[in-house]
Amino acid sequence: MGRWLIRRLLLAIPVVWGVVTISFVLMHLAPGDPAATALGEKASPEAVAALRHLWGLDQSLPEQYWSYLGQIVRGDLGDSLYFRASITSLMVQRLPVTLALIVMSAVIASLISVPLASRSAANVNGPVTQAVRMFNAVIQGAPTFFVGSMLILFLGVRIALFPAGGYPDGVVQRAWALVLPALTIALSIVPLLVRGLRAAMIEALGSEYVSFARSKGLSDTAVNRRYVLRNAGISGVSILGIQVGALASGALVVEQVFAIPGMGSMLMTGILNRDYALVQACTLVFGLLVVVVYLATDLVYARLDPRARLS
Amino acid sequence: MRPRKIMVAAVTVATVTATLVGCGGSGGTGGSSGKPQAGGDLVMARADEATSLLPSVPTDNSAIWIIEEIYDTLTVPSQDGETVEPSLATSWKQSKDKLSWTFTLRKGATFTNGDPVTSADVKFSIEQNQDPSAPFSFIDSIITKMDTPADNTIVFHTKKPWSPIPADMALYANSIVPKDYGGMSAEEFAKKPIGSGPFKFESWTRGSSLKIVKNPDHWNKEVPLLDSVTFTVVPDSNTRATQLASGQIQINEYPAYSSVKTLKNQPNAKVTAFPSSEVDYLGMNNSRKPFDDVNVRKAISQAIDKEAINKAVLYGHGKIAGAYLSPVTWAHNDEIEAPAYDLAAARAALAESKVPDGFTTTLTVPSGDQDLASQAQLVQDSLGKIGIKVTIKKLDPAALVTAKKAGNYDMAFGLYTTDIVDPDEIARFAGSYTGGVHAVYTWFKDPRMDKLAATASSEPKQSTRKAAYDEMQEIVADEVPFIPLFYAPGTYSYSTKVNEFHPGGTGNYFLKNVWLSK
Repeated sequence: MGRWLIRRLLLAIPVVWGVVTISFVLMHLAPGDPAATALGEKASPEAVAALRHLWGLDQSLPEQYWSYLGQIVRGDLGDSLYFRASITSLMVQRLPVTLALIVMSAVIASLISVPLASRSAANVNGPVTQAVRMFNAVIQGAPTFFVGSMLILFLGVRIALFPAGGYPDGVVQRAWALVLPALTIALSIVPLLVRGLRAAMIEALGSEYVSFARSKGLSDTAVNRRYVLRNAGISGVSILGIQVGALASGALVVEQVFAIPGMGSMLMTGILNRDYALVQACTLVFGLLVVVVYLATDLVYARLDPRARLS
Repeated sequence: MRPRKIMVAAVTVATVTATLVGCGGSGGTGGSSGKPQAGGDLVMARADEATSLLPSVPTDNSAIWIIEEIYDTLTVPSQDGETVEPSLATSWKQSKDKLSWTFTLRKGATFTNGDPVTSADVKFSIEQNQDPSAPFSFIDSIITKMDTPADNTIVFHTKKPWSPIPADMALYANSIVPKDYGGMSAEEFAKKPIGSGPFKFESWTRGSSLKIVKNPDHWNKEVPLLDSVTFTVVPDSNTRATQLASGQIQINEYPAYSSVKTLKNQPNAKVTAFPSSEVDYLGMNNSRKPFDDVNVRKAISQAIDKEAINKAVLYGHGKIAGAYLSPVTWAHNDEIEAPAYDLAAARAALAESKVPDGFTTTLTVPSGDQDLASQAQLVQDSLGKIGIKVTIKKLDPAALVTAKKAGNYDMAFGLYTTDIVDPDEIARFAGSYTGGVHAVYTWFKDPRMDKLAATASSEPKQSTRKAAYDEMQEIVADEVPFIPLFYAPGTYSYSTKVNEFHPGGTGNYFLKNVWLSK
């Protein structure tokens, strides 16, 4: 397992390098000058030139790329051109918010999907299955920003159970403020998760080991917990792991709608203002996040399914 | 279904239905008045986050309008935006040779660190904004030297007679900071700004909120009334509106025009459009064919149905623009009227041009701006009627600015606002080739404009200045380098508990006068 882990970590290096290079090239190829954007329309050409020099944007592209790679290797993410602050300090504030949002989304998605999938699997053509199918179709068709706005309107304004966006002070208040955005993201992956889990559960329910367990006289609950859910869970973990990209991109939209000061809203600000360093740093962190989650998914998968060898 | 489950389902359906019905909202607007009350925290939600609170650095309104609350300037724009009033300076006078201005500073004004505000601080502050890399250095580049004969006296020497100095001193970038940033580096100071304004900086959580609190030592003991103001960042306009409805915030900055009607129907909220210096225009690249032909530009101007756009896109909130200087400035020429929507006249003008049968062109709009996209479609439709085939091209905002700067576009919408109450800045910026952006990227070049702008800024007599500005506006109306479309107001929706909220013509919030009903 140790060798497997080292090999996977080494393989992550070219992936991360690829992410860094592609984001660098794409950002620099996109038209739009960060100095001109930062200084506004009324700034003189001299002011723009002075700022370009200060930010090193007057260097050639290879020079900028080389110096950026050097920075990354040293663990320095540079300064945000737009916010005029060190990106590390911005990340310290923003990354935990997005991570909390993603984790909460994954938990809520599981809490919704597992009961829906198991009820629907236990009753293949019953009304619950029809209702779940309809729910899946509606939720999958609704854009994330729309679902978010509706949740704000109903649960934030009418019932006033949660804040209608924003990120207050205090741990409990913040956790509470994250429920609606996390629910919005969770709903975007629930249909896929329900379908995957349901199929796996149906397969498990029809298997010989479940028949054997039942013949031993085990209750339905015990059979479900010990045999069905455990086996279907393997498929659930895989789907959830693969969906981490969707969770991260969900954060991008949802943080804007709910005014959550996380990485997603920072990335949007960076893109709109051609803040090269900030966009590159955010892309790098999101890239690392995906790599780490894939790794963790494989580890959990191996733990749940002894047949999967880490070699 | 078992009875209990049927009950649960019925209750759920009833709740959702009631919620949906309830969302229609009812009631009307209302105002509260009475005796001003001290205290309270005002929360204002805005679309964008401030970039920096160092006065000489930012250009975004999100930063500017906070800077104006925590720092003082020598003068301050009047509420109507037409003139300036005393602030840190109590009086100012131009020398007999017209080459210097002497400002007398207020006695007893202090920074929030307790130090008195002196002429040395003023000199240091203006020097920061004179740095060539400062975006507003062009405003202070007219100042050649500053003398500080006494702690409460500062003398500005100018390259040539310069009437707009009192207005220039009200610019946020000329806010007064302590000399040498009170012993801090610029970076340190930016994190803990020290001013002498009615509010002082309290805290800033990047991306989330920025809080300012009452400065109890402000030289004007009457203000502010609020204990504190919190500015939150809420990019989505729907979320801002719902936050106002739920009482989470008290002021929603710039609600979408399309939502104004709904917001007006919300109980406990009001919507007000304040006079602003914003002018929305359709720019044409005069350096490209066929826009180098004045007849083509005139034809386009007459073919655009501004009333229809105002109704459909701005929901009637704009005022159809005539002269290119906004009515907020005293230099506005109200005799210039917008050309009437007249397709026959437009066709006749086009017939006199080098492209009598029309042509194909592009109109570039920023991606993600639904209002401008709708506006572009209406223009496309109008111009199609006189034989001009318009393709709408979308570019993201940063790329559009770069394309405009490079002259790489045919037609594009834009807007301009003034930063100072004197007409000098905007008259040049929008009308003159040498005004910074080649007459708002139109590459319109008319030496008469430069000459008139120079006369207007050097003349001390207001009537002479006005005559020069009137002529500049007539030239733009005749030559049509761009088409002023609307004078757009500054729109805010806010709780009926908010009193005396009246943003000024240059955008200042004047939060020192605001108070909250209990």
